[in-house]
Amino acid sequence: MAIATTTAQLDRQRVWDVLFHNVTRIFAVGVLILLGGVMVALGIGAWPAFSAFGPSFFVSMAWNPVTDQYGALPAIFGTLVTSLIAMVIGVPLALGVAVFLTELCPAFLRRPIGTMIELLAAIPSIIYGIWGLFVLAPFLQLTVQPFLIDTLGNIPLIGILFQGPPLGLGMLTAGFILAMMVLPFITAVTRDVFLTVPAVLRESAYGIGATTSEVIRQIVVPYTRTGIIGGVMLGLGRALGETMAVTFVIGNAHEIHASLLAPGTTISATLANEFTDAVTPLYVSSLFALGFILFIITFIVLAAAKIMLLRLQQRAGT
Amino acid sequence: MSRYARRRIVNIVYLAASIAATAVGLIFLFLVLYALLRNGIPGLSTTLFTQTTPPPGSAGGLANAIYGSVVMTLVATLVGTPIGVLTGTYLAEYGKISWIAPTVRFVNDILLSAPSIIIGLFVYQIVVVQMGHFSAWAGSIALALIVMPVVIRTTEDMLTLVPGSLREAAAALGTPRWRVIVQVIYRAALQGMLTGVMLAVARIAGETAPLLFTALNNQFWSADMNAPMANLPVVIFQFALSPYADWQRLAWAGATMITLTILILNILARLLASWSSRTP
Amino acid sequence: MTIDYSAAAPPQQRQTMPTSEPIAPPTPVPAPAVATAKPAVRAEIKDLRFYYKNYEALKGINLVLRDKRVTAFIGPSGCGKSTLLRVLNRIYELYPDQRATGEVLVEGRNILDPRQDLNLLRAKIGMVFQKPTPFPMSIYDNVAFGIRLYQKLRARELDERVEEALKRSALWGEVKDKLRQSGLSLSGGQQQRLCIARAIAVKPEILLLDEPASALDPISTQRIEELIAELKSDYCIVIVTHNMQQAARSSDYTAFMYLGSLVEFDETEAIFTHPREKRTEDYITGRFG
Repeated sequence: MAIATTTAQLDRQRVWDVLFHNVTRIFAVGVLILLGGVMVALGIGAWPAFSAFGPSFFVSMAWNPVTDQYGALPAIFGTLVTSLIAMVIGVPLALGVAVFLTELCPAFLRRPIGTMIELLAAIPSIIYGIWGLFVLAPFLQLTVQPFLIDTLGNIPLIGILFQGPPLGLGMLTAGFILAMMVLPFITAVTRDVFLTVPAVLRESAYGIGATTSEVIRQIVVPYTRTGIIGGVMLGLGRALGETMAVTFVIGNAHEIHASLLAPGTTISATLANEFTDAVTPLYVSSLFALGFILFIITFIVLAAAKIMLLRLQQRAGT
Repeated sequence: MSRYARRRIVNIVYLAASIAATAVGLIFLFLVLYALLRNGIPGLSTTLFTQTTPPPGSAGGLANAIYGSVVMTLVATLVGTPIGVLTGTYLAEYGKISWIAPTVRFVNDILLSAPSIIIGLFVYQIVVVQMGHFSAWAGSIALALIVMPVVIRTTEDMLTLVPGSLREAAAALGTPRWRVIVQVIYRAALQGMLTGVMLAVARIAGETAPLLFTALNNQFWSADMNAPMANLPVVIFQFALSPYADWQRLAWAGATMITLTILILNILARLLASWSSRTP
Repeated sequence: MTIDYSAAAPPQQRQTMPTSEPIAPPTPVPAPAVATAKPAVRAEIKDLRFYYKNYEALKGINLVLRDKRVTAFIGPSGCGKSTLLRVLNRIYELYPDQRATGEVLVEGRNILDPRQDLNLLRAKIGMVFQKPTPFPMSIYDNVAFGIRLYQKLRARELDERVEEALKRSALWGEVKDKLRQSGLSLSGGQQQRLCIARAIAVKPEILLLDEPASALDPISTQRIEELIAELKSDYCIVIVTHNMQQAARSSDYTAFMYLGSLVEFDETEAIFTHPREKRTEDYITGRFG
C-alpha cells in the first residue's frame, strides 16, 4: 500500500489550482470592466445629445419631442428635490428606528421588528408605486395637502413651497414614498454602526448617571458620525435612482415649480416613461444623456457613502 | 423645575420620538400590505394562471406574464449566481494581497445600490441595439447583472465567516487550494450562500425598471427567448396606469402575487440564515 | 487494546513519492533500533528563523526530531512553539506576510526549498489543531477525504482504510454504526480523535499536534494522551503543549522555548529532573509562564 502519487497527478492538481484562481480573478476583474462598460455605453449613447446641445443641456428647460429640443434641468431638479424631501422625512425616522432597535427595544421584539423594517426594503418599487397611486395620493389630496396649503402655505418665505391646487400626485408625494423606501437602508446601516460603539464607552456614560438620550447624543452619535453620514448617503443614492415608485406618483411633467405639491419629473421617471416611445435619434440620445448624468451623480454619492463607512470600519478595526 | 427633572423629560421625549418613528415604519408596512390584500385577493383565481393578458374590456389572466417572469428570473439566477460565487470566492479567498480585491469590493458595493434603470439602459445599448430587437435574453441579462452584486456580497461575507482553522486543517492534509475551497469551504458556507441567492431572486422578482427597455412586454403567449416576453412587473406597470378597471384589477392581483412571493422568499432566507448560524 | 495493525504498514516500509520532487524516493531506513540506542533522525532543523512581516518570531532554531518518538515543544505563550510546529508542514504559507529561512531537512532534503510541492509535503506530514476541525461532511467522508486526494481506491479498500484509521484513533467502536452522520454531530473529544484519524488515514511520516487536548475535558485529554502513546510506535510525533504534565507524561524529548529561541532541548526526563538552564527550571517549577 502506497501513496500512489505521480508527478502527473501533482501537475494536474497544480493546473487546477492555477485555473481556479484565475477563473475567479477573471470574474472579479469582470466587475470592474462592467462598471467601465456601463459608463462607456451610456457615454456613447449620450454623446449625440451632449454634442448637439452642449453645456446648455444641463440648464435648458426645454423638453419638446416635436421640435427635437431637450434639456435636463427639470429632470435634474425633480430628482434632487424629491430626494431631498425623502432625506428630510426619512433620515429622522430611520435614526429613530435605529435608536429604538439598539437602545430601547426589548430583546424578544428586536428580531421581529428589525425584520419587519427590513421587509420594507424587500417590497419591490413597483408595489410602492401602485400603492402610492391608488391609496396614498388620493388620501394626501383630500386631507394632508389642503391642510398644508391652508397652514404652511400662508407663511411668508416657506409658504411658496406649499401653494397651488392639491393634486395628490407631485413631488411631495414622491418624496414621501421615497422616504419610506430608503428608511430600511439607512436604519440598517445606522443600527450596525451604533453597535460598533464599545460597550465600555456606553457603560461608563450610564455609570455617571447619563440618561439614554444623553448617551445617544453625546456618546453614540459623535462616535459613529461618519457611519451615520455614510448610511444617509447610501439612502440618498437609492433615492436618486429610484424609478418605478416615483414614476407612478410624480405626475411626469417637464416643469419646474417652487411648490412641492406641483407635479414634476425625475431622471429615472423620464426614462421609464419615454424611452420606448422615443422616436428620433436625438430624443433617444437625450434620454441616454439623462441616464449618464444620473449614473455619475449616484456613483459619486454612493462612492462617498462607501468611503465614509470604510473609514469607520478601519477605525473600529484598529 | 430641577435640572434632573428637565433631563428626564428630554429623555422621555427622545424615547417617545424613537418609538413613534418605529411605529410609522411598521404602520406603513401594514398599510401597503393591507391595500395589496384588499385589492389583490379578490382578483386571485386560477384563471390568472390559465389565461393570457387580455385586451381592455375582456376577461383574462396573467399566464404569459407569470411564465415570462419565472423564466427570466430563472435564467438570470442561473447566469448571475455562478459568476457571483466565483467573484465572491476571489474576494474572500485569493484577494488578500492584491489591489484587485479592495477595488472590486468597492465597485461591487456601488453596483449593489446603483439605479436598476441604468442597468436597463446599459443592456439596451449592448444587447438590444446589437440584436436589433427587444428580447427575453436581454431581460435575463439585465436581471443577471442585478443578481451578481448581491451574490458576490453574500458569498464573500459567508466565506469570510468560515473559520480559518478549517482552511488550515484542509490544507494540512495536502489538499490543493481549489479543493479546499470547493469541497470544504463551500460546504461549510452553503446555507449562507443559499440565503444570498434567495435574497437575489427576491430582489429581481419584482424588478421592473431594467426590463422596460430589454424584455419589453408581450401581449401574447411567447416562449421565444429571442422575442419580447411578457413579465409581471411590466404588465403591472402598464395595467395599473391604464384607465381600464379590469386591467387595474389584474395589476393588483399581480402585485399581490409578486409581493407574497418575495416576502415568503425573504422570510425563508432569514430562517435559513438563522438556522445555519445556530448549527456549529 | 488488541487491534491487528498488520494492515497498517509502518512508515518506513512505504514506497513513496515521485522522483522529481525535493523529497527523495524511498531511502533505506535503518532497521528498527534496539531500545537503548537512539532511533533514527526523521527531521533536522537548522538555523530556522521565522518572520511575521518584519518581526522575528523564531531566532535560529536547531534541533532534531527522531522517529518513533514524541517530541514536545513547551514554553510560555508567544514563545514560538506553535510557530515552529507550523513551519514543519509550511502551513504558514497560507498567509502571505509570513516567511521562514534556514533549513528543515527531511530525508536529506530541505522542505523549505521553494520547489518543494506544498501539498505533497503536507500529505506526508499530518497535523492536528488545537480546536477540533471536522469538515462539514459525514464521519466517513472526513476520514476518506485525505485518502481520496492522492489515491483512487476501490470502495472496499477505502472502507478498510477508513476503518483502520478510526480503529487506530480509538474512535471506531463509538462511530462504526453512524459513519454517515455528520462529523459535527460528535462530541468535542470525539471530533478531535476524528481529526487524528483523518490525519493518520493518509499515512503521514510525521504527525504534528498543536495543543491537541487544550480544548478538551480531562477524560478526553487522557484518551488523546493514550492515543499518542499508541501512535508513537509508528510515527515521529511532535506535540506543542502548554501543559507541562502532559509534556512530561507523553513525550520522549522536550524542547523548552522562550522568546523565539530554543533554550534547552534534551530527553524529557533530563529536562524535568535536572534542567541545565535557569530559565527552564523556573518555567517547569512554575516560577513564571
